[in-house]
Amino acid sequence: MSETASLNMQDIPQGQLPEHIELQRTRVFCKADAPVHTEDVEYSGAYAAVGFDNSLQVDDFRRDFRVEIKNLSMDDIEFDMIGIDASLANAFRRILIAEVPTMAIEKVLIVNNTSVMADEILSHRLGLLPIEADPRLFDFLSENDTPNERNTIVFKMEVHCKKRGPRLTVKSDQLKWLPNGSELLMESPNPSTKPRSFTSFSCSQASLPQISGMPIGMKHRDIIITQLGPGQSIELEAHAVKGTGKVHAKWSPVGTTWYRMLPEVKLLKEVRGNDAEKLVKKCPRKVFDLEDVGHAMKKAVVSRPRDCTLCRECISGAGEENIALRRVRDHFIFTVESTGALPAEVLFTEAVKILEEKCERVISELS
Amino acid sequence: MDSQPEPKDSQPDQPKDSQPEPKDSQLEAVIYICGDCRKEVPVKPGDAVQCRECGHRILYKKRTGRIIQYEAR
Repeated sequence: MSETASLNMQDIPQGQLPEHIELQRTRVFCKADAPVHTEDVEYSGAYAAVGFDNSLQVDDFRRDFRVEIKNLSMDDIEFDMIGIDASLANAFRRILIAEVPTMAIEKVLIVNNTSVMADEILSHRLGLLPIEADPRLFDFLSENDTPNERNTIVFKMEVHCKKRGPRLTVKSDQLKWLPNGSELLMESPNPSTKPRSFTSFSCSQASLPQISGMPIGMKHRDIIITQLGPGQSIELEAHAVKGTGKVHAKWSPVGTTWYRMLPEVKLLKEVRGNDAEKLVKKCPRKVFDLEDVGHAMKKAVVSRPRDCTLCRECISGAGEENIALRRVRDHFIFTVESTGALPAEVLFTEAVKILEEKCERVISELS
Repeated sequence: MDSQPEPKDSQPDQPKDSQPEPKDSQLEAVIYICGDCRKEVPVKPGDAVQCRECGHRILYKKRTGRIIQYEAR
């Protein structure tokens, strides 16, 4: 008698797992008290005793991986990634938040500020304004570089509230784009030399081929920056540069981005009549529906499992034996909310490119 | 992280105004702001510290004319 005779199950073809083991491998069981089987079975030989190969194969990934876009708008996207590991989904999420670059105001040159808002508070608020400019068209500005038309966007704001007039609300549309660079001059050490400008633009940004036709400005024109009382004024220049969310959150291109694993709701037993009606009412997301089965009897069916938030209302009390709440471990529902610099789907492809670059770096270091 | 205002001087030990230097040996009147009526009050060295119009004796100094640079962080 061979050692593993008990594992030779005739009804399951060789190379496949019995159903309950397959469920453990691919699903997270969300029980009433806590989730179970939350970790991926990573070891390739985990099921070697039954002849199932659990190793990661690129060809299997190529064959099984799918992306399905569910909702798409200018700034938001919701899509499904199926057949991918949690570590990769999380990597994309983290890269989207921290490493996809954007343009944001970094230097604020204040000529005059007689408002009640302190200079540094005003500057901080300006830094958080989302800028409509494709960051891929600009270079990073490091400490040794001079600010020029390839790495800086210059804005100017000049507002004054009339002495006898009402209070003035300063909105983000007051920031005007200066395609020719800074208009302010630095103080020169001796009065005879010509004063330098804060930026050295060799040509107008509007004339650059990649920028012409795509106007640069604030993404939203109605963001309130500050308010001015009668007689107060603000005159400043704001220089925007390219940066990443890692350094400061103002450079994060996403309002936020998140994913969740696809919920799975299965009725283990038939739920009929009164119980069915109670179940349908209990669910705050209306995951269940009533279906006629004849003889004026109704039963509960799962019609919208994707809307389930795993609140576990349906399995609280007596319901635990009837319903199985699970999550599919390799199916991710991704949502990306862009702040507007790049469309949401472009943002995700940029994140993929960045992950590719990181892998290339590892490969070149290793070889 | 430097959030202090940085006056953009190339030579910090020789502060120069963006306005041209005054021509008289004695400095011209510096403009202050009255605490009550917010009028601009020029005061020369030796002058009484008092608003010309309302007589209020608290005068505030105007904001500097230099360009101050901040980091938007």
